[in-house]
Amino acid sequence: MNVTRRAFMRAGALGLVGFGLEPVFLDRAAYAMSRAGAPAKSRTLVCLFQRGAVDGLSMIIPHGEKAYYEERPRIAIPAGAVVDLDGHFGLHPSLEPLKGWWDRGSLALVHAVGSPDTTRSHFDAQDYMESGTPGVKSTRDGWGNRYCQHEREHRDTPFRAVAFGSQLPRILAGSAPTLAIDDLRAFGVRAGSPETSERMTRAFEDLYQGAATGLLASSSAEGFEAIQMLKQANPSKLSAENGAEYPRSKLGTSLAQIAQLIKSDLGVEIAFADAGGWDTHVNQGAAAGQLGARLADMAQALNAFATDLGTRMQDVVVLTMSEFGRTIHENGTSGTDHGHATAMLVLGGHVQGKQVAGRWPGLDPANRFEGRDLAVTTDFRDLFSEILTRHLGARDLAQVFPGFEPEPKRWVGVLRGGTSG
Amino acid sequence: MQLLTTLLALLVSLIPGPITITTPPPLTALDSARHALNRLAYGATPGLADEVARQGVMKWIDHQLDAKPGRDPALEAPEKAFAVLETSPEKLAHDYAEALREARMAKRAASDSTPMTETGKAARAGLRGIRQVAGQIQELVVVRGAVADQQLFEIMADFWTNHFNVFYGKNLDRAYLPGYIETTIRPHVLGRFDDLLIATAESPAMLVYLDNALSVAPGSEPPRPNRNLSPRNRGRSRPGRMPAGGFRAPDPARMDSLTKLARTRRPSGINENYARELMELHTLGVDGGYTQQDVVNVARILTGWSVARPLDGGEFEFHDWAHDRGEKVVLGTRFRAGKGRDEGVKLLKLLANHPSTMHFVSTKLCARFVNDAAPDGCTDDAVRAWKQTGGNIKEVLRAIFHGPDFWAPANVAAKIKTPLEFVVSAVRALGGAPDSTLALAQQVGRLGQPLYLQSAPTGYPESQAEWVNSGALLNRMNFALALAGGRLRGVTADLDRITPATADPEQLIEAVDRAVLGGRMSPNTRAVIHREIADIHDPVRARALAFGLALGGPEFQRQ
Repeated sequence: MNVTRRAFMRAGALGLVGFGLEPVFLDRAAYAMSRAGAPAKSRTLVCLFQRGAVDGLSMIIPHGEKAYYEERPRIAIPAGAVVDLDGHFGLHPSLEPLKGWWDRGSLALVHAVGSPDTTRSHFDAQDYMESGTPGVKSTRDGWGNRYCQHEREHRDTPFRAVAFGSQLPRILAGSAPTLAIDDLRAFGVRAGSPETSERMTRAFEDLYQGAATGLLASSSAEGFEAIQMLKQANPSKLSAENGAEYPRSKLGTSLAQIAQLIKSDLGVEIAFADAGGWDTHVNQGAAAGQLGARLADMAQALNAFATDLGTRMQDVVVLTMSEFGRTIHENGTSGTDHGHATAMLVLGGHVQGKQVAGRWPGLDPANRFEGRDLAVTTDFRDLFSEILTRHLGARDLAQVFPGFEPEPKRWVGVLRGGTSG
Repeated sequence: MQLLTTLLALLVSLIPGPITITTPPPLTALDSARHALNRLAYGATPGLADEVARQGVMKWIDHQLDAKPGRDPALEAPEKAFAVLETSPEKLAHDYAEALREARMAKRAASDSTPMTETGKAARAGLRGIRQVAGQIQELVVVRGAVADQQLFEIMADFWTNHFNVFYGKNLDRAYLPGYIETTIRPHVLGRFDDLLIATAESPAMLVYLDNALSVAPGSEPPRPNRNLSPRNRGRSRPGRMPAGGFRAPDPARMDSLTKLARTRRPSGINENYARELMELHTLGVDGGYTQQDVVNVARILTGWSVARPLDGGEFEFHDWAHDRGEKVVLGTRFRAGKGRDEGVKLLKLLANHPSTMHFVSTKLCARFVNDAAPDGCTDDAVRAWKQTGGNIKEVLRAIFHGPDFWAPANVAAKIKTPLEFVVSAVRALGGAPDSTLALAQQVGRLGQPLYLQSAPTGYPESQAEWVNSGALLNRMNFALALAGGRLRGVTADLDRITPATADPEQLIEAVDRAVLGGRMSPNTRAVIHREIADIHDPVRARALAFGLALGGPEFQRQ
């Protein structure tokens, strides 16, 4: 077992016990010391969180059901505008850029997926989807982080789990090292000339190594290590390939930079980006409008990402998720209120594409959740488990989703079976 | 020792009624002053900790609790630079509508592939103006935090604007936000919780943000039929139309400038958005014991709570025609039919003083002032004061500051500063004076806390885990170096006031320790700073570097 640089730094910091020493930090130090150098895996899972609860029913539209139109006189997507997939389901017209991936078998959709918990609180539902423990609020870490804690046959790199944004999302929080990057181009200590910047980087590294405790110690250590690796790899110099054009939105920038990290072989295994604006209580719009604009941004960004990565997409899966769906019935203000099940997209190389997976409960009032919302027929943990196992080769799902019995028979089959490791 | 005794005597004499301190604060007078300044204020300015210690920290705390809105002499001059404080909501609404209209025209012109036109320039200027309003209201937070004498007042203004979060980007909240801060939140920050709750419920900013302005009883009809809607096609798709009733019929000349809100087709039923967040986030808390049926009934009670003429920046208005006339039951309490707006007031009072609310809000206050993991004892003290005073925020806070948890050594420096706290405390530590440009507010945004731009109704989190990550820490270091090096726009820091550039390294580091770290600089930090300035011969640069490293280092991230 070779002691990694980070482990050494942590061990050093561990000697400096002072007040404010959090358990998470101790976990992290122990974690770092117990890991060995391991071979790299080149597979990446990109999670895209649609915060605010996307209206799954107007994203992946059950246009074959009359009830969809009866319940939404003002905001249903007109049948003529729906991008039909199989006669029953269709894409929102803004998702048209993804139709090619569907046709080529790289895009699968999962409908009526969601949480077994009944909350309609954004905050709680997002928390549960990221902690991976619906109904349990005391869980300290996110499932993405727990995956990293328990699946260690991976190269030791601070880039293993990377979130784009100025805050580290719950899904990656925990004792395994993770990185939050707001903008790759500006990541680092900047103090004038490169020489001065480098000197200041070292000075701050020594300050934090010597006197930081808790999260301050582990986060800064990961940051300084990442700076060194970025300096070597310089991913920002890579331009988009194959004619890919990213939208100039936050999501577009995040996905473009995730692609740069993947192409630089920095060992990204889980990447995370999020996008807001889905909480469409008022004037949701139909074929055009608020929801349409958000979906257009997402579709263009995803299309650019998959195009940019080209053959590397073989080793990448993109999974979209959202905390819950929205009411079947439109509300009094041409929008939708908080509902239950929603839809998720799975895009990537070995995706079992061209299918709307999961059991469709239908819109019949008798089959609705609490008489009003689309029922959940696929527990999100089953979908996430399938992807972690078949794409990333996870072996210890009980650790990733505690209290949840792994059962491959429940998996909806969005990835080609048997692929593991 | 004598100071400590005096401090204790003061403490005991100031404890109201049944709240007793079980253990005396084992901090020195200066440490106590610094701790109080870290929590009740945005940190110390040069010399302030000594002054607070001298006058007695409990006396200073009581003085802070006595703050009155709009009575801070230190704010008078700086506030004059903020035109937004003098601008009416009506003008803001009109400017916003105008900017939108011009932006649309410019877009149209651009799609006709017309080259750069005058319209385009005007549109850009208009949008700049709108952004200027946003920037001013953000920068005000930083300026007030940096220079106010009534520091606790500013801390609580931030606490409540975050608790009752609204999102500047939600259409007409661009016009309503300044009024929301100045006339809804600030008059009540140390007042009564029920007054504050009712003020937010009646604020156009909240009514727009969480959609209650549009929530109407199903089947209700506005008193004045809209000419544009014949009975035959009422309610059918009519894009580009104003909602009937409630909102004034549009002046055709201004049709272009209608906002998203105004383009709403006429509401035809309830919207649960505010009802849910009112209970989950503002009062009871998510585990406060309400059901989905309660959410629906709260929404029904609040039907008709709306805004008069939002396109003109109008105020709260109760629309009797939109109100649900049935009986409702919420949390087991019956609301008799037909009481109109009074039902809502009764509901808000019920929620404001519900045991779940006392517990939820008290816990959040303890998390803010004492420890991310609010100690039970702190919450209990706060709840007791809440019960005794009917939700007098000042007394709830007094109970927290007089309680043993606040002074427990384990809770000193136990919290990580939020980006706002970090930026403002850094400016204060250097005795800096921010100007009215938007530069510092932009820094707060860059560090992860763009003010008034949290779109989720939860507001920003109180816990450190949300603020500490590798990228954010690097940005804090960059901010610190730039601030101390005088390379940051929007603020001037006069380091000469703290220590002359000619000071020798030992003196310099002592001054840095005193000003930035309250005399608690670790030996490691001391050694690193010493090493880094050793070979810098320009004393001004060496001084800037020493301050920059201390501000960006680990100790200053804590409070």
